[in-house]
Amino acid sequence: MATVVATAPLAESPVTIAPAPSTARSIRRRILERGRDQAVPDRAVLVLHDVSKQYPNGKLALRDVDLVVPEGDFVFLVGPSGAGKSTLIKLIIRDEVASHGEVVLDGQDLARLARRHVPRMRRKIGIIFQDFKLLPTKTVWENVAFALEVTGYPRRQIPPAVDRVLAIVGLTAQARQTPNQLSGGEQQRTAIARALVHDPRLIIADEPTGNLDPLISWEILQLLLRINELGVTVLMATHNAEVVTALRKRVVALEEGRIIRDEVGGAYHRED
Amino acid sequence: MVTFIVFSLKRAWQGFWRNALMSIAATATMVLMLMLLAGFWIIQTGLLAGLQFTEQKVEVVAYLQPNATDSQVAKLKSTLEAMPQVAGATVVTRDEALTRFQESMKAQGREDLTQYLDINPLFASIEVKLVDPSSVRVVGDAMRNEPIVRNVINIEDLVDRVLTVTSILRTAGTVVLLVVGVIVLFIIVNTIRLAVFARAEEIEIMRLVGASDAFIRWPFVFEGAFVGFLGAVITLVVLAVAADPIGGFMVEFFRVLPIQVGTLTRDLVTLVMGAGVGLGILGSWLSVRTYLIR
Repeated sequence: MATVVATAPLAESPVTIAPAPSTARSIRRRILERGRDQAVPDRAVLVLHDVSKQYPNGKLALRDVDLVVPEGDFVFLVGPSGAGKSTLIKLIIRDEVASHGEVVLDGQDLARLARRHVPRMRRKIGIIFQDFKLLPTKTVWENVAFALEVTGYPRRQIPPAVDRVLAIVGLTAQARQTPNQLSGGEQQRTAIARALVHDPRLIIADEPTGNLDPLISWEILQLLLRINELGVTVLMATHNAEVVTALRKRVVALEEGRIIRDEVGGAYHRED
Repeated sequence: MVTFIVFSLKRAWQGFWRNALMSIAATATMVLMLMLLAGFWIIQTGLLAGLQFTEQKVEVVAYLQPNATDSQVAKLKSTLEAMPQVAGATVVTRDEALTRFQESMKAQGREDLTQYLDINPLFASIEVKLVDPSSVRVVGDAMRNEPIVRNVINIEDLVDRVLTVTSILRTAGTVVLLVVGVIVLFIIVNTIRLAVFARAEEIEIMRLVGASDAFIRWPFVFEGAFVGFLGAVITLVVLAVAADPIGGFMVEFFRVLPIQVGTLTRDLVTLVMGAGVGLGILGSWLSVRTYLIR
């Protein structure tokens, strides 16, 4: 049943994804260069080693979490609400610091990262949220350009970079519209374009389809898969069992702060 | 660096106009608070000037012996003028004293009684102005010890009482001004905090896409400075417009006081501008800081 639903929209998707050879090339080139420069044999984007997180109120949100995400992986993070998914994401973007253990992103231990280096590190991550987090007073184009402007990107290089990612997500025609003129799916694609514009190593999607209907959810999924094919690692937290089970990607299941399952080609629920 | 400043100014300008309601509310609050501050400051300046005027009236008068020679008087005058507490000394001869008396009687419309006298009954005197009225005792005692001084008018107790009152008024004025200043500070900082709070999501997005603290902070600081500047300009325009009718009413009062309108205006512009822009910057800085410390 799930497979039928999964394949149909995949085959005849309404989303037309423009070819973006320049981005694809730049990402691949970067991967090659990194391989040459760095002596790290396994190019893991993200490594969590023995990570625990206890909040000041005493709540233990994560315990003894070990996770390795290699470059180019597509990982579903599943689990009931309160299982620790959000905490895990906060640790990766260093909104919180682990109470114990190491969170290593792109070879950098986040606990030892000086505060002033955090912004630079965050540019290696693109984040997508359930509620899109777009600025309502700005157009699609400005929302994407905003991410470059506020990080001090050279002004002349902003327009081509924005046009490129808008082409990848298929929003070139909607560039001058504001978020409230867009459908939910288009808003989420704007958010994905913004996440992509820094040429990130890792895309973190926190319930990206939570506010979208099933068909649009599949559009967004396809877009993330396409981005993954371009070489960007994707970590997606979701409750969407259908999608997870249909795609047979790597599934990491959290429960009460522990990883209870980590299988490649897994389903949303345990299959014994 | 230039790119950064241009970026920050542009973002500040956009931020002001794209959140027009909040910006107008903040500016209006700024104007009201600056007017309050300026009003109290003007009152305080007037009060201080009035008190200074009163204190300058304190004068120690010594009557001289009739047999004192001109050289003795001149020597006493120079001795007194050499004292650090003395601002100036004037000798009033017997003839001058008589003229003064006659003029004062005439001014009051009373009969000049001296016309019935063959001789001038008045004493010559020396009038000493003081740098600080609290030194009245020192100067008075010094004059009493001079042999050619007949007597010194005893004003010490009166001066003490005046000084008590003026010092209380001075302290009270300063305290009121400080309290008003603190109130203005809190209200302005809180208003700007609300304006920044309304844009918490924007700040959060900036953090998530990897904006450094400076890129988040400075546009808001410039915007706060702009709100302060605009508020100060509006306040000063309103004060300038209101100054004529109020000034016309009070000009007679102010003429006697040792206030220079030029200095007053300059100080007022400095105060309103400084408070407006300064508090705008402070408010923004503190408000954004709460989002940056994590």
